[in-house]
Amino acid sequence: MHSFINFIMGPMVWISFLIFFIGVIFRFFQVIKLVNERENFIYTYMSFKYSFRSIFAWLIPFLPVSTRKSPVFYGISYVFHLLLFLIPIFLLSHVALLEESMQWSWFTMNDAVADILTLIVIFSLLFFIIRRIVVPEVNFLTKLSDFGFILIVALPFVTGFLAYHQFFAYQWMVIVHVLSGELMIILIPFTRFFHMFMAPFTRAYTGSEFGSVRHAKDW
Amino acid sequence: MQETLTTNEKPESNKKDVIDEGVEKGLARLTPEKISTVINQVLTKETGARFKVYVETCMRCGLCADACSIFLSNDRDPKLSPAGKVKQTILEMINKKGKVSKQLLKDVVRIAHTECNVCKKCSMYCPFGIDIAYMMTLVRRICHKLEITPLYIQDTVNSHSATMNQMWVKEDEWIDTLQWQEEDAREEFENLRIPLDKDGADIMYSVIAPEPKFQAGLIYQTAVIMHAAGLDWTMPSTPGWDNSNMAMFTGDFEISGRIARAHYETATKLHVKKIVMGECGHAFRSVYDVGNRWVGWAMPPVDLVHAIDFYHDLLTSGRIKVKEQYKKTVTLHDPCNVSRGRGLHNKAREIVNILCESFIEMTPNREHNYCCGAGGGVINCGPPWKGSRMINNREKKEQLERTGAQVLIAPCHNCHSGLEDIVHHYGLKMEIKFLGDIIFEVMEKTIYQKDS
Amino acid sequence: MMKLKRLIFMSAVILIITAFYAYSREEIPTIDNIVFDHPQRSAAVFDHDDHNEKAMLEDDCSICHHVYENKKLIKDESSEDYLCSECHFLKPTPENAIPLRMAFHKQCKECHFESNKGPVLCGECHIKK
Repeated sequence: MHSFINFIMGPMVWISFLIFFIGVIFRFFQVIKLVNERENFIYTYMSFKYSFRSIFAWLIPFLPVSTRKSPVFYGISYVFHLLLFLIPIFLLSHVALLEESMQWSWFTMNDAVADILTLIVIFSLLFFIIRRIVVPEVNFLTKLSDFGFILIVALPFVTGFLAYHQFFAYQWMVIVHVLSGELMIILIPFTRFFHMFMAPFTRAYTGSEFGSVRHAKDW
Repeated sequence: MQETLTTNEKPESNKKDVIDEGVEKGLARLTPEKISTVINQVLTKETGARFKVYVETCMRCGLCADACSIFLSNDRDPKLSPAGKVKQTILEMINKKGKVSKQLLKDVVRIAHTECNVCKKCSMYCPFGIDIAYMMTLVRRICHKLEITPLYIQDTVNSHSATMNQMWVKEDEWIDTLQWQEEDAREEFENLRIPLDKDGADIMYSVIAPEPKFQAGLIYQTAVIMHAAGLDWTMPSTPGWDNSNMAMFTGDFEISGRIARAHYETATKLHVKKIVMGECGHAFRSVYDVGNRWVGWAMPPVDLVHAIDFYHDLLTSGRIKVKEQYKKTVTLHDPCNVSRGRGLHNKAREIVNILCESFIEMTPNREHNYCCGAGGGVINCGPPWKGSRMINNREKKEQLERTGAQVLIAPCHNCHSGLEDIVHHYGLKMEIKFLGDIIFEVMEKTIYQKDS
Repeated sequence: MMKLKRLIFMSAVILIITAFYAYSREEIPTIDNIVFDHPQRSAAVFDHDDHNEKAMLEDDCSICHHVYENKKLIKDESSEDYLCSECHFLKPTPENAIPLRMAFHKQCKECHFESNKGPVLCGECHIKK
């Protein structure tokens, strides 16, 4: 058991990140190759000014009209995406482990705060599930895989929460926590999770077209 | 016709079960091999990074739904949300690797050609900026290659391909119409000319074919405005005078490119400084944004000015003066292709405020306007689809109604016709006018002198 | 009748479990964590004699209570009369790069991983009260 735990909390972490980085590079390479082969006009229309104008406009909460049409979903989604990164990066236990193995260390947040934020993430995911079932136009678009994505994201947060509180089966909770976290990292480049990398570029292209060709706002 | 639909799927009971001869006859000709070959050819050979990334990035959040006036007009029918339309067309084709049934193709034609105005509003509502209108254009491209494009719009494309104009206007008819307008106008204004093929003129004025065909009065009005503003202008007598482009909307990109090229070549032959075009939205999109790209020009090779921009210049520079402001209450419809397509909405407002006493905004407006419901080639699909179009335009009707204005200004031909249909169908008490109509009515009809 | 019996039985079980739980909690000795300003986790469970017996350390204190001089381990010298925090400060210093928290963690975990025995996960030592 010790060597298994050592493996998943040691080498497996690096393997996951390695697969993640190779995957990301591969996906970008694929897209760039396609752009060069088929749609190199994209470079002609891409404009830094309007790309960033569009991206920044869409980062300001509730600036885009679209987000004001669904304020609850958008608000929850905004907070959720922030926490998705903030919690794991600034969690004391994660930083402590990293410090021990790599001597890397940075700011950590209070465990009690992290606990509440984790609950927010879990309830956000619950909200997404309910929204996918209840809102007709979203339900129509929903495939089984969409619930799958929610589940994959939920798993590390739920198990992390349960492990922190040591409610039951502590050791197994940590093991599932670590493995599901690694699974998510590995899956990012190969699934629609990749929107975290592609969305800025699709936004930038539309922003460029709207800005430099159409002279209109796109938010 | 029924036996041609060799499919096990039950045809969906739909209030919009329309028979379009072009579609039906086209479907009857198709074989499963042809269907899958064409679909796969378009989806794999004619697409690139954008398509791949769009399909793989959409998280199906449904935020695009609120952009679509057709979705809103149908009590938020999930099947009519932008992403919903992609799901029923493109995604279905991808999932089945192109092996789709004729029944599905029938739905696909209906969705892509009559339930989407390719107005691009949804790409403003998608957090990722996914261009769903581009996807719908791809679907139309597939329909074009399968030869199942709706009959009426296909006819306009045929006209484009044979005559380089949209309405089968013959060359002598075109020249006659211009000369007739000139003659009429000279009774009112001495020395007024509609100069044909004047080499080196400052401005080439281009119109869409329906103007000489049914609305020659608009050419008359423009001639008066040009005359009064004292401008050096001309109109071409040869093919290329028509800036409209329905092929762009059927996915017949080859014809679409030829049309745009003919337009610019005509301007180049006449050595004009710029092209000014009439109040049309889709034509502007064709020559400014779409057709030129197909030919290989990133941006228009000749300076291209839309009527809104042109009028704005005339009114703010004082070349055209307002004698007395227009009295009736007016509201302004923002045509997608020149507001979201070129950001001319603010200039349009300034013009309206110069011309009219009381201007009432309709909401949403500017980039967020609702489409007239006719654009994107939807009205050009003709009478078979008019009934469903009226249902799909309910939201626009309610928006118009809320303004309570007496006059609706629509600086776009397509919008004009579409709004005309809405006003008649729903019995709204609204007159619809072009900006040119109002300028003609309120302007000082003396010739501009530099120092006066 | 059956219901009542079941109820009594269940209550007894719950009672025993809670009693045992409370009792066992009470008994576990922990490391003194007073030097930490605001410890976020409970003090680590540690029973010195019990641990050494299980680990068969046979009174060789220097295995854990090591002595380093100029960053080199001095063999057979032990430091059991000092506090860990006398060398390992809360923050890393040029003289000692290993801060206190890390020193504790490494001291326990590295040995436990090597010997395949003992707690290695956070909650196995920092038991939630």
